[in-house]
Amino acid sequence: MENEKNAKGGRAAMSGRARLWLKGGFLAAALAMAFFAGREFWELRHYKETVVSAPGLTEVKMLSDYLGSLKGTWMDTPIFVYDSGVPGGSALYMANVHPYEPATSLSAYIMMENIKVSKGKIFVIPQGNRSGSTTGMLGNAYPKFFHVKTDFGEKQYRIGDRGTNPLDQWPDPFTYVNYPSKQNLAYQDIRNMNRTYPGRKDGTLTERASFAIMELIRREKIDISIDAHEASLMYPVVSTYVAHERSFELAMMAAMTLSAETFDMKCESSPKGLRGLSHREWGDYSDTLAVLMETPEPFIDRVVGPMTEELFTEGKDEFLATAAKHGLTYHPYKIEFGSPLWYRCGRHLSGAAAAITWMGQFFPEKEIIAEWPGYKDLEAHDCGYFLHDPAKADGKLVFKI
Amino acid sequence: MVMLEQIIHVIYVLFAAIIGWFLLRNLFKRVKKPGIVYDIVYAYCVIPFLLRVLGIK
Repeated sequence: MENEKNAKGGRAAMSGRARLWLKGGFLAAALAMAFFAGREFWELRHYKETVVSAPGLTEVKMLSDYLGSLKGTWMDTPIFVYDSGVPGGSALYMANVHPYEPATSLSAYIMMENIKVSKGKIFVIPQGNRSGSTTGMLGNAYPKFFHVKTDFGEKQYRIGDRGTNPLDQWPDPFTYVNYPSKQNLAYQDIRNMNRTYPGRKDGTLTERASFAIMELIRREKIDISIDAHEASLMYPVVSTYVAHERSFELAMMAAMTLSAETFDMKCESSPKGLRGLSHREWGDYSDTLAVLMETPEPFIDRVVGPMTEELFTEGKDEFLATAAKHGLTYHPYKIEFGSPLWYRCGRHLSGAAAAITWMGQFFPEKEIIAEWPGYKDLEAHDCGYFLHDPAKADGKLVFKI
Repeated sequence: MVMLEQIIHVIYVLFAAIIGWFLLRNLFKRVKKPGIVYDIVYAYCVIPFLLRVLGIK
């Protein structure tokens, strides 16, 4: 009897130890998964993109120069200034406010690497929401990076999220109330830089970044401010300028010129009741002429198949082509062409140039004379042709962002 | 306001740490639902809290 009890106790003890080992094994497996996943997240968070500025660079400012509390945060971002020294107008080209639309930042880099300004002044912000560019979209299985082929090898760029990284601003409220309009917006829009304008200097990190952008526009007296975005093809405002009422005429003329000469471009008036967006608040809270631009990016359409790097760079998707055949897209779409990266960058570069040119037509005292590669240049050579080798460049003109 | 935002942010990170610790405790020392499937679930659910506390994701 005694022996039988001991035997049972032994079996129970063995079973308990085995179970503990099993639990430890499960935990070890989970930690291994956390390690491998974490390594990828870490890589995206800390990877820095390289840009070689054109020699015309006169100054590099930081967003924290316009609001000190941004210093040392992930929202602090460089502002590149190209001043001709000749009196004229001033323009701001801002990209990657939504970092899951990174053809905008690539277009800014192409602009920065090749810009020549002979009248007026140009400000370029290639990473509008730098925090958001350091995390991927939850649940969408996006690639972390995209690559651009150049003569000196491939260049790698981040594909980020729509809003600020939750590591930097968290938690979200149940409802986001835009300041100062008090308009209720979706909760996650509290991290969406293009819903938090005009911002507030003591608000959330995203609101403070938006406030700093407003301060930049006001203090530097920027005449035209261009906010570059990408849109899904099933979104009505794709391939469009969205302009504040003061800039609507110049945007309409730019759209007509582009549509006649290079590519289809629409023009919409900024709705007065839709608050927090750049094309509304930049114009209402400063004297700038506010324009937002959208290009067609199949990568962020909801109906597409696997979200691969190839889809991002080529934009070819059979599901989207089927949707287009049924008239469900707001941009003419053919799978043979897709919506390649050069096309989207080219649209932005020529779109910005056309808006600035037309500002000079309407307001001669604000004329800016500047040049950078446009749509036809990118059509002929692709994006990588216009990027320069950091290893061979003057170190003072190489920046990591 | 900025300071308040930062305090709330830190409190939520601490919450993530506490929840992660509870998940670990329940993995090894729970009374109810002793099945292996629950072991796997508790171990797996630690991952997002761990990554948040470490400032990785």
